[in-house]
Amino acid sequence: MSGQDYEAPSGAFSQRDDATAGSGAMIYRCGDCAVRVPLEKGAPIRCQKCGARVLYKERTKRMVQFEAR
Amino acid sequence: MAARRDSDVAMDDAPTSHQPEVKDDTMVDDEGDDFDENEGEEEEEEVEIQRVKLLPGSTETAASFEFANEGHTLGNALRYVIMRNPDVEFCAYAIPHPSEAKMNVRIQTFEGTTAIEALEKGLRDIQELCDVVTEKFVKAAADFAEKKAATG
Amino acid sequence: MPHKPPTQEELEKRKIVGVNFETVTDVSSTDFPGHYPGEDHAWDIERFKKGFSVEFHQNDPYEASFSLIGCDASIANAFRRIMIADVPTLAIENVFIWNNTSVIQDEVLAHRLGLIPFTGGREGLHEFLKWFEKPAEGEQPNCTDYNTVELSLDIKCEDNDDADSKETDPTKLYHHAHVYAKDIVFKPIGRQEQYFSGENIIRPVNPDILIAKLRPGQQISLTMHMHKGVGSDHAKFSPVATASYRIMPTITITQPILGRDAEKFQKCFPKGVIGLEKVTAKEAAQKGSGYRGHEGELKAVVVDPKRDTVSREVLRHEEFKDKVKLGRRRDHFIYLVESTGQWESDAIFLESVSHLKAKAKSLEQQLVNMVR
Repeated sequence: MSGQDYEAPSGAFSQRDDATAGSGAMIYRCGDCAVRVPLEKGAPIRCQKCGARVLYKERTKRMVQFEAR
Repeated sequence: MAARRDSDVAMDDAPTSHQPEVKDDTMVDDEGDDFDENEGEEEEEEVEIQRVKLLPGSTETAASFEFANEGHTLGNALRYVIMRNPDVEFCAYAIPHPSEAKMNVRIQTFEGTTAIEALEKGLRDIQELCDVVTEKFVKAAADFAEKKAATG
Repeated sequence: MPHKPPTQEELEKRKIVGVNFETVTDVSSTDFPGHYPGEDHAWDIERFKKGFSVEFHQNDPYEASFSLIGCDASIANAFRRIMIADVPTLAIENVFIWNNTSVIQDEVLAHRLGLIPFTGGREGLHEFLKWFEKPAEGEQPNCTDYNTVELSLDIKCEDNDDADSKETDPTKLYHHAHVYAKDIVFKPIGRQEQYFSGENIIRPVNPDILIAKLRPGQQISLTMHMHKGVGSDHAKFSPVATASYRIMPTITITQPILGRDAEKFQKCFPKGVIGLEKVTAKEAAQKGSGYRGHEGELKAVVVDPKRDTVSREVLRHEEFKDKVKLGRRRDHFIYLVESTGQWESDAIFLESVSHLKAKAKSLEQQLVNMVR
């Protein structure tokens, strides 16, 4: 039986989402308006758009495999 | 009758399940055959694992069979058709333990036939039965569709 | 001793399981050789063929109801069990989550996805697609176009700028606030294009199954692999929502039930089981019929016992207790098969029959091997 093979996605880092900004900035998500907030080291923890002080770290870019059971 | 009883194995000697031991035996037996087949046919046909075993203590006319990976589905249906065989004195099935995927069938026949023959006939009867059910079902479905189309 | 063959009446009586107020009688079948002295009950395919019949009550793609008449419970039950646990279907088995920022946890989301029933081209599903062999621990899976179907779900919730400022409905306030089964995209690979395109595309049976709810900024991005499996492994692989049978109820009115009693009698059963008819002049004239002098009155008659639930309500009433006999026909099975959509419901039953046949056939071969 000949069939076209394809690979299951591997557990390596994903290339799907744009990587965090090139500089030392980390990307956070605003807890209020969900906008992307790049923060430099030592910068005040505050959303530039709405001023909310609760920021969330982004989810890991690692692919996770689950059995649908 | 006495002769038959003599040949039975004492309760302590008979293992409740014989699967692993027999598996080893057949492995040795089959190995020669498998080699020849594989060389000839390039592994076209997958070698099926032996799922039916004859349990120890069995005689010609009174035998217990162990079916791996079978349950009530086949067990009860098989028991029924074997019981319909007039040459069979006794037939029953059991699943000795629910967490082991094994099903046992006990067959005792009258003189003149063997337990293995009775089992074989039972399996053949099921196949014939299935053909009849399919035939009647397909016809009934067609008739029903026709009737529905006619009445709108 | 010469044996008298059983009368037709006797044969009918043997088929009935008695249902009393608190007890049941004659539960087991007796059609075995040696049970009735002098009678031949040996298995005979021709005799089975003569006594066996199938009757359809409903046959729709998602629901079929039919009766098997003249077969044993062990056979009927084998078909029912095979329909539930052994007829294969295609379902989501592996979920590769690239991103999921929704409030629903990865594993819960994966589980929900697995339970969604899918459908597609019948030929592709039943003939072209083959079993997927689970790789051994640490080994790479062998995923190919004939054993794996790939799906993906990429969705992101965003604000809807066109929404009214007073709007409170999240589905209007945001784009993709709800993730539905219809958002899942099938990605054909290799020869799958041939079997699953156009109306044969692999798709959820119901496009409106809610998978998750999102808020602006949240997204779900994942791919899925579907494999063939059977219900005995996981319920998501079962081709049926229900596959069950009832045994045909019987109701025998032994003494006339008339007038107000008849109306009350009717109410002891579900609608349509008992009808009311006028006592005819002929019946009233008949001696010993119990109808004498009751011409024109209403009497209770059994119209459709199939609809009865055998609740035994009627036996709770003193006045009916000795006028009716409830029972069931041991060899009449009323099936109800509800398909989840991957198979036609009647095809599931046919598949179960051929599955049982294949099972018996392979074991017959195994038996031959064993003796050899």
